[in-house]
Amino acid sequence: MHPSNKALSFLTLLAALAPGAAATEDFFESQIRPILVEHCFDCHSGAKTKGGLALDSKNGWQKGGDSGPAVLPGDPEKSLLIEAVRYQDEDSAMPPKKSGGKLPDAKIALLEKWVRMGAPDPRVASAKIAGMNAEEAQSWWAFQPLPKTSSTAKPAEAAAHIDALLHERLKSEGLSPAPSADKRSLLRRASYDLTGLPPSPEDVDAFLADSSPDAFSKVIERLLASPQYGVKWGRHWLDVVRYADTAGENTDRPLMHAWRYRNWVFDAFNRDLPYDQFIRLQLAGDLERATASRTELNEGIVATGYLAIARRFGHEISKDVHLMHEDVIDNLGKTFLGMTLACARCHDHKYDPISAADYYSLYGIFQSTRFAYPGCENSGKPRDMVPLIPQSEADALMSPWLKKRADEDALRAKLAAAGKTLNTSFTEQTEVLASAPLAEGTSIGFEESQKVSLDSIAVRKGEVLLLTVSPNKGHGADSTLVEWSIQDCTHPERAWNVSDLISSLSQSNPHPGAHNASWCFLSMGNKGPVFLHEKSTSVNGHSDIQKWGIGDTPSVFVNSSDQQLMVWTTLPARSFLVHPGHDQPVAVAWVSPMDGSVRIRGRVADAHPTRNDGVAFELKHLRSPASGTALLEMGRTLQIPEAGPAPAIPWAYAVADAQPVNARIQIRGEPEKPGDEVPRRWLGVFGGQPLFHPTESGRRELGQWISQHPIAARVMANRIWQWHFGTGIVRSSSDFGSRGEKPSHPEILEFLASEFVASGYSVKAMHRILMHTAAYQRESNPQEPHLLKDPENRLLARFSRRRLAVEELRDTLLLAAGKLDLTLGQSHPFPPEDRWKYTQHNPFNAVYEHTQRSAFLMTQRQRRHPLLALFDGADPSASTAQRQTTTVPPQALFFLNNPFFHEQAAGLAASLAQIPNDSLRFNTVFRTLFQREPSAGESQHASAFLASYGTAPAEAWNAYCRILLAGNEFLHID
Amino acid sequence: MKPPVLPRRNFLQSAVTGSLLFPGLLQQLLAESGDPLAPKNPPLPAKAKRVIFLFMTGGVSHVDSFDPKPALTRDHGKEIKADHPEIKGRPGYERIYLKRPQWEFQPRGQSGTEVSELFPHIASCADDLTLIRSMHTSHSNHYNATLGMHTGSFAFARPSIGSWVSYGLGTMNQNLPSFVVIAPKQTYAGSQVFASDFLPGSHQGTLVIPGAEPIANIAPRIPAALQSRELEALRTLNQTHLQTRNADPLLEARLRTFETAFGMQMAVPDAFNFQEENDRTHADYGLQRGQTTGFGWQCLAARRLLERGVRFVELIDSGSSGNWDAHGDMMSHAPLAKNVDQPIAALLRDLKQRGMLEDTLVVWTTEFGRTPFNNTADAKGREHHPWAFSSWLAGAGVKPGIVHGATDEHGLRASVDPVHVHDFHATILHLLGFDHEKLTYRHAGRDYRLTDVEGHVVKEILS
Repeated sequence: MHPSNKALSFLTLLAALAPGAAATEDFFESQIRPILVEHCFDCHSGAKTKGGLALDSKNGWQKGGDSGPAVLPGDPEKSLLIEAVRYQDEDSAMPPKKSGGKLPDAKIALLEKWVRMGAPDPRVASAKIAGMNAEEAQSWWAFQPLPKTSSTAKPAEAAAHIDALLHERLKSEGLSPAPSADKRSLLRRASYDLTGLPPSPEDVDAFLADSSPDAFSKVIERLLASPQYGVKWGRHWLDVVRYADTAGENTDRPLMHAWRYRNWVFDAFNRDLPYDQFIRLQLAGDLERATASRTELNEGIVATGYLAIARRFGHEISKDVHLMHEDVIDNLGKTFLGMTLACARCHDHKYDPISAADYYSLYGIFQSTRFAYPGCENSGKPRDMVPLIPQSEADALMSPWLKKRADEDALRAKLAAAGKTLNTSFTEQTEVLASAPLAEGTSIGFEESQKVSLDSIAVRKGEVLLLTVSPNKGHGADSTLVEWSIQDCTHPERAWNVSDLISSLSQSNPHPGAHNASWCFLSMGNKGPVFLHEKSTSVNGHSDIQKWGIGDTPSVFVNSSDQQLMVWTTLPARSFLVHPGHDQPVAVAWVSPMDGSVRIRGRVADAHPTRNDGVAFELKHLRSPASGTALLEMGRTLQIPEAGPAPAIPWAYAVADAQPVNARIQIRGEPEKPGDEVPRRWLGVFGGQPLFHPTESGRRELGQWISQHPIAARVMANRIWQWHFGTGIVRSSSDFGSRGEKPSHPEILEFLASEFVASGYSVKAMHRILMHTAAYQRESNPQEPHLLKDPENRLLARFSRRRLAVEELRDTLLLAAGKLDLTLGQSHPFPPEDRWKYTQHNPFNAVYEHTQRSAFLMTQRQRRHPLLALFDGADPSASTAQRQTTTVPPQALFFLNNPFFHEQAAGLAASLAQIPNDSLRFNTVFRTLFQREPSAGESQHASAFLASYGTAPAEAWNAYCRILLAGNEFLHID
Repeated sequence: MKPPVLPRRNFLQSAVTGSLLFPGLLQQLLAESGDPLAPKNPPLPAKAKRVIFLFMTGGVSHVDSFDPKPALTRDHGKEIKADHPEIKGRPGYERIYLKRPQWEFQPRGQSGTEVSELFPHIASCADDLTLIRSMHTSHSNHYNATLGMHTGSFAFARPSIGSWVSYGLGTMNQNLPSFVVIAPKQTYAGSQVFASDFLPGSHQGTLVIPGAEPIANIAPRIPAALQSRELEALRTLNQTHLQTRNADPLLEARLRTFETAFGMQMAVPDAFNFQEENDRTHADYGLQRGQTTGFGWQCLAARRLLERGVRFVELIDSGSSGNWDAHGDMMSHAPLAKNVDQPIAALLRDLKQRGMLEDTLVVWTTEFGRTPFNNTADAKGREHHPWAFSSWLAGAGVKPGIVHGATDEHGLRASVDPVHVHDFHATILHLLGFDHEKLTYRHAGRDYRLTDVEGHVVKEILS
């Protein structure tokens, strides 16, 4: 910018009066500014303010960056800028090596001189609110009050007004609108738009027969009254709020109760819940309805599921809670306000008037909110759901179960401790007494393979003798006979024998032995001993065979009959046997009841000789008295019943108020670097009002501020427009800020948003207006000038043809096959919470098929549902303002080879098979799928195809149905 | 294999002449709306035309594989202090001790690059490797580090590097996807690691699961002769539909996808049919004839996909469990290394012999390294280590047989010329002809890029 001559002469005058001033500014301009421009501006000017520091204005260095003011005029020694350019401290040295490194000494000297001079700097920054000039922010179009409309016009009148405005633009571009669509196309279009389903042949007939002027109005009303309307429009909303049925953290665990929020959204659209209330309930329904009836309160609670479904992050989600808050603020900014608030997490917004302080003022509101906790790998169990019955009732139901669960947890802790003790004694205090491989069909006595004499082994109370039988590679036919006796050397009448266990094996495990000894039957995997906890009192139909095992094998079992039994092999009469599993040795342990010494005898024999590879055995002495105690401790926990599934209480995945707190700014968005505390308040650019209920979180105020701001009405009116016409008046429908697109027809958006407010925020009123416009009812076929001048159809000279959304595709396929279930979906068949063991190594992963509408499909954040992902379904992790329409070969593969698709085509063919002849069938199938009758040519083509297909007629009809369902006419809406 | 009937040329012609009205205009619209996968030239001169990205899941120990640390052997058992994310506040980890590597290192080839016994076959290719011993990353969890290595984002879902490459370069074969991921099991962070996210869906990685039906819906359920009859009928039906609808690129594009899909049904099994590969090749990759799984299969399939014009092939060696995550016992590295070692070496030789290594970039990496310490010196395993790990590149545009960067004497920190994941990405994009700061996509009001706001090309390794 060049100063005008007048300014120049003014400067000259100043210079004359105060010789220093002009000279110093001249010094800045000639010596300092070039250094800043060359070496600093890349990172510290305009939108780039690394470390929060701007050097393109005096205010910039005065305010300074994250470490404070950059220059202390007059004192180079205390100026961070000088410290940085001197390379005094490695961390703050500037410019960085990558950008050229240390400045030449001469330049450093100039900077020092400038600071010493008092840092004269004539550059003035214009007043800004974060990234926008204050003046521009105050007059930003999307923030302005809406024109007042006293009462709502009739839909047709409002529609005419919109048409007139559209027409004006078309005329000025020299375009004329396309003719009206034919009635069949219009009905197909309206039905899909409002319900996501095609009209039935009867609907078509009725509409064609109705020649009254309000025939289409009646159609609109019929569709708006259908419960399927809420499913379709609620699904639009779920796109924006990135609804999903899993939490999205590292294990992606299920959200058992989120479905209530999903269904509430569907219901809210069906009831035409006023949009301002819809906003307030989602942000603070619990507070708004705190004193209302139970039913109303419940609705309010469920609605806050909007906040609770925020994505969770990381391994320990409480550690990364700032990311969840970012997700909350990001989503509410985009969803309700069309503003990218989350850009202000690390620094003031670079383009819009949102400061980091604004961001953290909202952050405080959510920090004062308790979010339902989905659990995570580190601190596993879900909690903080909100009961939809009084808390006291819920507590009464829950407390016995929580007690049980706490007991169970305590036992598990004990078990873990016991396991540790055992592992130590296994690795450190074990002596092998005997061991040998056992070839097929052989038998080996302990003495034959002894490592020490077995005549007198000193034992102490609690020590363990352990006989382990291990498989080799082939572990299939490893039934192994065990004989084993233990005798007290000093009191020979005190003896133990595994044969004592034959009559009572299934009684218990651990099993009481004579004279206070105990026996345990164990599986010995890599992770140490595990009790064989599955009891069978009959095997292969023989009640004489009793067994402890885990699955088939490993197992310990007996033949308690006096006869030998012919089963998979011959089991001798009254025999004690073991069978290792794959990589799972099996073991029998004896826990000593006494201090003394014992004599051990026994043998191990292959009881199932095949041409296999045998087994191996090992007799060990665990020489730690703690090992027996630990083993029995482990055994006892098996007898403790698990807490089992939680009592069935209607829970909502929702939020509640927590202790109110103000947040502190996180410098550069890093929670470890707290800055100033900021009060919870409304956005500064909108007035920055403080909370009026500071003892609450502030969600109630936030809901009111947002719902009363005109931008909220603009954003929603624009979304409704987009969901009807394909593109919003503001194409960036979640960004109304300076980086978003300007409205194509600002007057229409202003008018529509005002009508929206005047209608009492009725979404259905908007449908009535928009669907009554001539623009909505035009045919979709473009004419050449349309394509040349307006290929994207922003001016709406025609209707935009669109592809079926993935939900519409799947629903219509099911409908065609006669299999669509129109009942409302509820919860998903997730595994019960008490069985969850999800880790980042084994995250939750499932696809649940059903025949209900696709809006009820379980959607996972980490792993997308294959069909939804294939046909551009919404992103379950981030807000989807507008679905993509990609056309890729894998979609065509779906129509060629997908089993679900083939099945639906076969279903359609089967229902057509009920119809007496081909010509009637053609008629029916065209009417069902395309809302029209086949042309003579099409019938002919179909007959020819069926005749030439060369298979049985049923197969040929399957094929023909596939063709119709894969066709462009089926997949598109004109 | 010969495709039955339905000659491709007819189909193409039908697509452009289908619309009776203003076909000239349609041509233009089709060109403008553009096929997002049409082959494109990168803005800058490129050495690499395609990439094989070998991802070892779970965290490969650098000090046991590519980063020799004699001092670690010498100081085994010595207590150290480290403000390490994996031990902070972790019970039992109040004190930590250095733990020696379990595999011996030797200088290899002309270059003398030291590689351990863990990878004897890859070691024999040392003269072709551009080894980076100073890699580091921003997170110590599998999920985040894996996401970061694939998308440049350590928390949020963002487009995968393969999707960015597809977006930038398109594909050279319309019968195959531009970005293919061959993974027997899902890795950490699920499908997010190969998702296109906000980039157009055509840049999504196509998942190949070794086995009977490697790509979803690829196997015809009816005989080919019947299928082509159906496609003929479908074409007629769509033709009729099109005749009453003026130029619509969307409808036309969809006709093309059926043609491509039909081609894919042939091209995909053809790419995965190794019959024409000789016994020698099978043996090199460690494959039995007819084998359809295993890392050798993945490697040979990758070479065949690249030959057929695929831009970016990622091979994931294992899933989110049973991988390199050796907390319990470092010896679990042995079978995992054995699984990939010979096939990777075979792939490198094969590419070289065919002259493909000249314009193919091979990338080998993992999400992070493993700690050179543990809470007892005799602990068998190692923990997650984001501060340092080793990755290597080979082929197009990189200096062969060199080592870049170094860790400190114990392999704790990347101390010389550290290379962050963002730098690694910037370098890969550079080799493909992109300035990583300029390969951007406007989404939600912001220009996004693979390297976020970071990344410097590692110029020292460029040839």
